[in-house]
Amino acid sequence: MGSALENYVNQVRTVSAAGNYRELADELPESLSLLVRNWSILDNVLETLDMQQHTLGVLYVLLGKLHSAGTANPDSTQIIQLMRDFMQRCNVDQLRFAVCPFYELCHVFTDYLVQKNLSILGIKVLSRAIDLIRHMDTQLTPIHADLCQLSLKAKNLNVVLPYLDTDITDISTVAAECKNQQQQQQQQQPQHTLDANNDAKYFLLYYYYGGMIYTAVKNYERALYFFEVCITTPAMAMSHIMLEAYKKFLMVSLIVEGKIAYIPKNAQVIGRFMKPLANHYHDLVNVYGNASSEELRIIILKYSEVFTRDNNVGLAKQVATSLYKRNIQRLTKTFLTLSLSDVASRVQLPSASEAERYILNMIKSGEIFASINQKDGMVLFKDDPEQYNLPDMFLNVQTNITQVLDLVKQINKMEEEIILNPLYVKKALGSQDEDLTSQHPKTYSGDPTD
Amino acid sequence: MQQDKYSELLNKLENDELENISPGAELYQQLMAIYLYQNKLASAKLLWMRISNNLKENNKELAQLNLLNLALQHNKYSEFFKYIKYEWSESNKLIIDDLLFKQREELLNLTSSAYVSIYEHNLLQMTQMTPDELKSACLGWTREQDGEEHIWQPKIKEPTPSIASDDQLLKLTEFVSFLEN
Repeated sequence: MGSALENYVNQVRTVSAAGNYRELADELPESLSLLVRNWSILDNVLETLDMQQHTLGVLYVLLGKLHSAGTANPDSTQIIQLMRDFMQRCNVDQLRFAVCPFYELCHVFTDYLVQKNLSILGIKVLSRAIDLIRHMDTQLTPIHADLCQLSLKAKNLNVVLPYLDTDITDISTVAAECKNQQQQQQQQQPQHTLDANNDAKYFLLYYYYGGMIYTAVKNYERALYFFEVCITTPAMAMSHIMLEAYKKFLMVSLIVEGKIAYIPKNAQVIGRFMKPLANHYHDLVNVYGNASSEELRIIILKYSEVFTRDNNVGLAKQVATSLYKRNIQRLTKTFLTLSLSDVASRVQLPSASEAERYILNMIKSGEIFASINQKDGMVLFKDDPEQYNLPDMFLNVQTNITQVLDLVKQINKMEEEIILNPLYVKKALGSQDEDLTSQHPKTYSGDPTD
Repeated sequence: MQQDKYSELLNKLENDELENISPGAELYQQLMAIYLYQNKLASAKLLWMRISNNLKENNKELAQLNLLNLALQHNKYSEFFKYIKYEWSESNKLIIDDLLFKQREELLNLTSSAYVSIYEHNLLQMTQMTPDELKSACLGWTREQDGEEHIWQPKIKEPTPSIASDDQLLKLTEFVSFLEN
C-alpha cells in the first residue's frame, strides 16, 4: 500500500516539475479512492508535498482527508488549519486546471464543519476560496452557497454580506467548467467523476440562503429579490428549495408590499406545484388583505404548528407587526388629526400609549410623518416634508443615477457579447432565412430555440 | 470622523472572532458595544445569538450589554437609559459613553420632530434624566404650566445646510452628457 502512495507522490512531483498540470489534473481523480483508503498515512504524504509547487497533489490529498473524515476522525483544528494554509499558499494557476475538484473540496469542507458545529471557523477560508477562484467580482461560484450556509449556521453575516450585495453577471458551474476544460483539451472525454447535477442545487441554495440572510438583517426588499430569483428559475419540476423559498417569498412580500409581489408570468412551476403545497401561507395572505390585526393574530395562532415546522415563526411575527404599521399608514391617508385612543381602536392596538409607541417608532424610521400632541392626546398627520431641494436628497438622487448608468453600461456590454456570439448569429440568421424561404409562415413554430 | 471612530477596532475584532475557536468575553463585549454605538442592531442581535451559553450566564457585563441591546431593539428608551447606568469596565467605558451621548441626542432630536408637546414627567421617564439635566439639554424649548404639570414644547431643529461640492457638480455634468447622447 505504501508503495502506491509513493507512486502518487512521485507522479505529482515529476509531472508538476515538468509543468504538465493539465495531464496531472486528468490523472489525479483516479487516485482519489487510493488516498481515501490510506487515510492513516495522508499526513506523511502531505509532508512530502509543497502547497505552492504541488497545489494539485495537495488538493487531492485534502479531498481524501475530508472524504475519510467519517472513519478517520481527524483533529478538527488540524483540518481547519490545513485548509487555511492551503487557501493562503496554493497556486491559483494550477487550481484553474482542477476547478471542479476545488469546488468539491469546499463543499465537503462545509459539510464537515456544519457537522462538527464549527461553522464560524470556515467563513474566512471559504471567502478566501471564492476570491481565489472567481474570474471577476460579479461571478457566482458554487462556493457562494457554502459560504452562505456557514454564515447562517454561525450567525455571523458580516463577511458574506458584501458578496451578496454584488449583483451577479456570470455563473461558474461545474457543467460549464467541464465544458471549458474539454474545449481546451480538444477531446471529448466524458468526465465521469464529476456530477453536474448539483449546479442547480447550489444556484438555488445561494439565492435561498441569501434571501434568508437579508431577512435576518431586515433588508426585506433585497430579500424579496433573492427569493424571487429562486422561485422564478426556469424549471420543469419543483425543487424543495424553491418551495421553501416560495413560502418565505409570500411572507416577505406581505412585509414589503402588503400583498403578493409581482411574479413573472413564465414561472409555471409556481401555479402548478407550489401553490397547492403552500396553501396555509396563501390563507395568511388572504387574511392580511382584510387588514384586520385580530383576524391575522388568530390565523397565525391557528397555523402556528405549520410555521414552527417551517421555521417561519419569527417571520410570521414580523408580518403581524407590519400589519399594524400598514394600518396606521392607511389612517394618515384619511385623517388630518386623530386622537391617540382612536388610533388604538382603529388599528386594534390595546391602548393609546401603545399606539403612541408605534407612531413614535414609525416617525423615527421615516415611515410616516406626524407629530404627537400630548396636551390634548392628538396626532397630527403631515405630508412628506421632503421638498427635494437639499444637498442630501441631491446626493441620494446622484447615487441612484450612478447605479442606473452602471446598469446601462453592463446591459450594453452583455448585449454586445450575445450579438458577437457565433451561435447566436447563426441561429438569428438561420431563422431569418427560414422566414424568407418559407412559403407557409403558419408552420413556423414560433419558438426560435427549436 | 465621528462615524469611523470605531471602524478600525471593529474590523480587528471581527477578524479575531473568525480566527479563534472560543473568543473571550472581552472581545464580545467590545463588539456588542460598538455594534450598538453604530446602530447595527441586526448585527448585535446575531452576536448575542452566537455567544455561548456559558459566557452569557457567567459574564454580568455582557448580560448588561444585552439588556441595552434589547431595549434598543424594541425602542424602549427609558429602559435603555436605566440600564446604561452601570459600572462599565475600562475597555468598554469610552464606547458606552459615546453611545449614551449619541442616543440622548437622537432621542431629543426625535422628540423635537415627533412631538408638538410632551409632558415633563414623560420626558423625564424616557430620558431618565434629572429635571435640571433636562433643562440644560433642552435649550430653546418652551416649558409651560398645564394644570398641575409642566409641559414642554420642543423647538424644531433647522437642518444644517451643506454646500454642494465640485464633485457633485461633476457627476451632474456626467449625467447630463449621458442624457444628451
